[in-house]
Amino acid sequence: MYPETNNAHAHDLQMDLVTASNEVIPIFGKRASKYSLWIRFSNGHKFKDGEEFAKLIVPVNGDSAKLGPCRLLSEPNIDGYAGRITFIDDFFDFDNLLSNHKIVKLQSEFLNLPMVLAHKDNITREFKDYTSNLNYDCNVYKNLFDKLDLEYQGEPEDVKKLVQRAIIDSEGKTFLRFIDENLQKLEKIVKNFSKEEHERHGFYLRKQLWNIIMCSAFMARTNLKPRGYSGDSEMMRMIYANEYEGFSTFSKLLNKHPLNQPAAQAVRNRRIIVAGKLNEIKNSRQYHADGKCRVLSVACGPAFELKDIFVSPDDCDAFHFTLLDQDKSALLEASVLVDQIEKSLGRALETKYLNESVRTMLVTSDLHEKWGRFDFIYSMGLFDYLTPPVAAAVLKKLYQLLAPGGEMVIGNYHVSNSNRYYMEYWLDWVLYYRSDSEFKALLGDAPGAHMDVTFDDTGVQMFLDVKKNRANA
Amino acid sequence: MEQSLRLTVKPQWDEIENARIEVGAYLQSQGLMRDAVHSLTMVISELIENGIKYGSFTGPEDAIAVDIHRNGDTTTVEVINPLNIKDKAARNHLTKLDKTIQWIRGYQDPFEAYVEKLKEVSRRPLKDEESGLGLVRIAYEGKSILDFFVSEEGSLNVSAVSHFRGDNHEKD
Ligand SMILES: Nc1ncnc2c1ncn2[C@@H]1O[C@H](COP(=O)(O)OP(=O)(O)O)[C@@H](O)[C@H]1O
Ligand SMILES: [Mg+2]
Repeated sequence: MYPETNNAHAHDLQMDLVTASNEVIPIFGKRASKYSLWIRFSNGHKFKDGEEFAKLIVPVNGDSAKLGPCRLLSEPNIDGYAGRITFIDDFFDFDNLLSNHKIVKLQSEFLNLPMVLAHKDNITREFKDYTSNLNYDCNVYKNLFDKLDLEYQGEPEDVKKLVQRAIIDSEGKTFLRFIDENLQKLEKIVKNFSKEEHERHGFYLRKQLWNIIMCSAFMARTNLKPRGYSGDSEMMRMIYANEYEGFSTFSKLLNKHPLNQPAAQAVRNRRIIVAGKLNEIKNSRQYHADGKCRVLSVACGPAFELKDIFVSPDDCDAFHFTLLDQDKSALLEASVLVDQIEKSLGRALETKYLNESVRTMLVTSDLHEKWGRFDFIYSMGLFDYLTPPVAAAVLKKLYQLLAPGGEMVIGNYHVSNSNRYYMEYWLDWVLYYRSDSEFKALLGDAPGAHMDVTFDDTGVQMFLDVKKNRANA
Repeated sequence: MEQSLRLTVKPQWDEIENARIEVGAYLQSQGLMRDAVHSLTMVISELIENGIKYGSFTGPEDAIAVDIHRNGDTTTVEVINPLNIKDKAARNHLTKLDKTIQWIRGYQDPFEAYVEKLKEVSRRPLKDEESGLGLVRIAYEGKSILDFFVSEEGSLNVSAVSHFRGDNHEKD
């Protein structure tokens, strides 16, 4: 058996301290806190509390990091450590250093300060006035709504709800119109900006309005992107729900506003359109004869549309679904939904889940042998993020995966999206927009392809509809 | 009108300089302004550098392909390197590439990604080429939208799309 202390030293690393007179003192150290290190001296050295050292040398990834002056805080403890080492000028973050092998200084935010401050230098006067007025007005509205909320705070729950509803329907509407008007102004000011100017001005607007933006749960999420990308399943859920969500009247209003826009309506529309397409297929005799219709949903997300497709037990026999997404948690949510549908319809669904990125799936040259070919392929909310070289490669691959006589429907936001600047400036949500002809050009002249471009009612969501000739394998 | 240039670059450091010269001359001939030529040359050399560093080169015929097309004001740069997807280290780099690109593109203003990266102060002696700043520089200083895919032949295609006006546009 090992003595107790050995366990406590299991994570110790060999390091060196360098004294002011350049003497190298070998030590063992381990993380004590984010900005301090437990150390013990390997050669029985003794130093007084507060002793200063010129350097701490830490092994990192087969190399070594020489960090600045540090000090011993004598704190002998039961595990045999002499105390803590902490820095004097620059405080380095041991979590990043020891786990991620990155050298990050506590104060490094300040290194960038001049750059961040200078980033406002090329903001136009007009835009500065615009954001400053907008910020002022938003805060006036916020204070008013917050005050009103306090007035009826003590009322019983259902009375409170009714009062809030009444406020939302009256003064709330005025506020929503105020936002609308300001978005129109924004468009006028920025419409001739270059990409770089949009970026700078968007950054500026978000910095100014940050506290307002954070009041809206939806906008907070699109800005913070907790899963690392825009359009995650929680954002989708919020768009479908289209509710006044929030802790105050003001936050409810600000949550609802972006969800009421054509760009959000387009998300709700496309779900219905896809379900409609699949219902059409189900009702056409063709697939009853050939067995199940094999469907592939590319970048499926939580696949809420399945609820609209599987409404009767017979529907379960009509389709075989393959759901592909890069995000495991989205696939998990889809599988929970499939379970729910199976339970409520009392019939099993044939589904397959593929945790793949479209950007890397192309490497498998015999995908059609591995996955089979599909009678119907759809992809919504994916091509909006693919630049032309990638979109073209993915589209061509999907076309290969299409069975003869099959059809695919691919969504992309159209360049004319009237919410573009709202999304970019307020929501920090950038899409790759396309025109009809750019969308069509992606597939080039694939043999046996019939292409058509259609739109949803908002005119924002564009669909590329590709049918493959029966004769083309 | 679509214009393009294709180069083959051997996976050697001194090849980058030759590629820079060739690319610079091509972009100038396309009527791009000095700043644009400068930015795009930087984009291309960062991408080639990554291709050399992270590509899987086995035989003497293995090389990096560079494709530049100009269509209107849009410049698309594609840098293609062989990749051994069966190799664990290569797959890890691919995952890192994917994450980094999605992370950068999550910001409307790539400046934010650039500033974040700068915070991770890199120490001199740790191989200088590993600044971890290449992709953010492409997005911020190079004003380009990054993307990538792995092709059927198993090569990695990293691309940067940008919008720079040629000087012929300044007149109208
Ligand atoms: N051509 C490539 N092939 C594979 N991985 C790559 C490629 N380019 C970049 N990467 C991955 O993305 C990371 C970030 O790249 P970059 O920003 O250029 O920083 P650096 O090259 O300094 O590490 C790299 O460390 C690597 O893991
Ligand atoms: Mg690099």
